[in-house]
Amino acid sequence: MVKPVVVLVGADKGGVGKTTVSRTLLDYLAARKIPTRAFDTEWPRGTLKRFHPDITEVVDVTSVPDQMKIFDTLESSSAAVTLIDVRAGIMSSTLNALRNIGFLDAGRKGQLTFALFHILGSSIASLDEIAETSHYLTEAKYFLVKNFINNTSFFEWDQATYNSYFKQFKDAVEITIPQLSEMAYEQVELVAAPFTNFIANKGANGSPANHSFVLRGYVRHWLENVWSEFDRVKLLDVVGVREASTEGAKPRLMKLAEAAAH
Amino acid sequence: MSILSFDETEESGYDIRPRRDAEAGTGPLYIVCSPRRTVGKTLLARLLAEFYFAHDRPIAAFDLADEGPQLSDYLPDVTTAVELGSMRGQMAFFDRLIGEKHSAKVVDVSHRMFRDFFVIANKIGILEEAIRRGIEPIMLFMIDPDEKSAGAYSILQRWFPEISLLPVRNQSVANGIPYWGAFPNESPIHVALEIPLLTASVKTLVSQSSFSFARFQRTQSIGLPVRLDDELRGFIRRVFRQFCEIETRRMCGDVRGHWSSNP
Repeated sequence: MVKPVVVLVGADKGGVGKTTVSRTLLDYLAARKIPTRAFDTEWPRGTLKRFHPDITEVVDVTSVPDQMKIFDTLESSSAAVTLIDVRAGIMSSTLNALRNIGFLDAGRKGQLTFALFHILGSSIASLDEIAETSHYLTEAKYFLVKNFINNTSFFEWDQATYNSYFKQFKDAVEITIPQLSEMAYEQVELVAAPFTNFIANKGANGSPANHSFVLRGYVRHWLENVWSEFDRVKLLDVVGVREASTEGAKPRLMKLAEAAAH
Repeated sequence: MSILSFDETEESGYDIRPRRDAEAGTGPLYIVCSPRRTVGKTLLARLLAEFYFAHDRPIAAFDLADEGPQLSDYLPDVTTAVELGSMRGQMAFFDRLIGEKHSAKVVDVSHRMFRDFFVIANKIGILEEAIRRGIEPIMLFMIDPDEKSAGAYSILQRWFPEISLLPVRNQSVANGIPYWGAFPNESPIHVALEIPLLTASVKTLVSQSSFSFARFQRTQSIGLPVRLDDELRGFIRRVFRQFCEIETRRMCGDVRGHWSSNP
């Protein structure tokens, strides 16, 4: 039987791009035809749900009924991957809750695959978050994500300090999200569509749109680089899911752009 | 002006008028470029734009230069100054390049904007998109003896393998450079492009911002001495004939090249 895969995207700090990274992951998995569902913990309003309404449910991850909704359905769900976008400030408490309900133990015993995408901010507090978070993650796949999408300079980091933190976790994998033009990013925000829809010159509901080719080009180039990072760290192998499609990222995104031209 | 006033046909026995079927289709996108200054980019861009004027065909020109004399000094009515430094400027420029299908377009890429222009074009895939929309991009690269030019030419070939890249020899700067050395033309358009030498007095005349090649060609005489008049008319004829050859190859494919390689 295929093990359920749970991907948690979080950070204790706000505004570091958790939802953006979640969106790139959902696009990445969708392009590979991997059935995925998502939970948006920005309860009750939701953020991720704006972009992926069909597969996203807004939940209060601190409430027991909603925890049941997520974790008791892992095996019965048709989705191979469950992605949880954890809102700012509750990553530690969410991990604590997962430990208390035995979820982390299940991961340790190999009954499920658990991966954490920890989005780092530029402040030194993020490094402390790494130390704190790692206590929970003895068997989890731990991805440290440096998000440069908004031109974060990580200026508060001393590289030696960062390395000293990073080296404590030999299994942690670093991922870099490159910068995207602010105007292109904002335009996708306004459209409230998946990045892949925007690239294909489509609106939120998949209907034809009239986005600037220049902005679409920048988004495509950026998403290619993000997906290359996921490929570089062999994300699918790490989380143990098999790609239904065997194309590379670049041809796939280029096809979206080509489809838009016709 | 009518294209019938263009009298080259009878004289040369070779019909250099742009083909009418081109007028019904999409116009090409000419990108005149070089990483070096004063190699004749703006002169070539002017000549191309005026070639279209001379045949009453729609043309839009884009000027990426930031120092004069520049294309917008010579052709202010059809030239748009481009600001590549801002996202809004890029959108205004690139979206228009692929948005207007029926007019031919000439982009004069200054040496200072050479890198930025092609990096952005490569990143957003604008030239591939142009092809998908039926607009044929043709890069016209002004060659010169500097190693930097050969390096840049090679990069363009690698980055844009599907796009026609044609070396252009301006005889006043690159007279001794062989074409098939550092600047091989591997595109389907096998046209040897040359801008002939002009004597100093004719060069001075055409450098005036009020001078128009198309208007000169239409006029019987502007009072130049016969020798200079002949020289300038011969220059225009020779350059325009090369543009016609590009147009013909563009529309028909390189039939001659195909025959010679497949006897």
